[in-house]
Amino acid sequence: MKRGEILIENIIFILLNVAFLTILVLFLLQQGNGAVLLENSYAKEIALLIDSARPNTVIHLNLNDLKEVADGNGIPFADVVKIENNYVVVKLSEKGGYRYHFFNEIEVNPHPDVNPDYGGDYILTFSK
Amino acid sequence: MKNKKGKLLSVYWFAILVIVSVGIVLMVNTFYSNPYDVREIESEIISGKVADCVYYGGKVNSELVNINGGFREDFQDKFLEKCSLNFETEDELEKVAYYTEAEFFTEDDETKSVFFLSGGNKNWKVDCGADLKSENLAKCNEKEFYLRTSADSIYLVKVLSIVGKTSENVK
Repeated sequence: MKRGEILIENIIFILLNVAFLTILVLFLLQQGNGAVLLENSYAKEIALLIDSARPNTVIHLNLNDLKEVADGNGIPFADVVKIENNYVVVKLSEKGGYRYHFFNEIEVNPHPDVNPDYGGDYILTFSK
Repeated sequence: MKNKKGKLLSVYWFAILVIVSVGIVLMVNTFYSNPYDVREIESEIISGKVADCVYYGGKVNSELVNINGGFREDFQDKFLEKCSLNFETEDELEKVAYYTEAEFFTEDDETKSVFFLSGGNKNWKVDCGADLKSENLAKCNEKEFYLRTSADSIYLVKVLSIVGKTSENVK
């Protein structure tokens, strides 16, 4: 009887520890993949790419991280990256969105890759 | 007695877990709440673009020099446009977040510039000379290179580029 009690206590103790660690890991993963954080960092990185681009450049961007979040929030992938008056706009949720200014005077055309093998990719084409 | 000790140990154990988790949550929040600061890279890109605009592939920009090999003053008027730079934001009342300049010195005298190009908000220049180190100051980038004109004159070019944008890049 006593041995059995000790075993149950140990099992509960271990289960609680596992639950605690799982919650902690999920929290860390969620923090790194949050829509706000992704919008902010991707808008800035795309702005940097545009700033360094020259006319006739074509850039393929792997945006699988953004696609996962956008799909989860019901945002069409084609609306995730937009260029508006020298601003890069990345939008991953209905009420969210982040815009960052770029200074390169160049024509930019962002669009999702139509090749189904690269479903999470964007293509940026630049012209004078 | 043994059982009491075991319970006491597990209570302490969970107290430690709570302290550790609070610490981790605080650290993670502090880390992710700081915006991604890209101003240093932006200022480097501006300097690179200005340098390429002035002198690219061993040749001076044909719109910058006249037939006699001298600098054309009218290049300054459209400096940003000629170098494909657009510092204007949508909000006209918002102050321009960028500044860039290029000074040209002769080989003999590197103290007095013979030609000067600039564009953007000059007020940011104060931040570059500040002794104080703070993230709230604008990020500055300096670049120097020599150029040789078709008339075989050699000039030292000093490029300075500054990016403000503190509200977007600093907490």
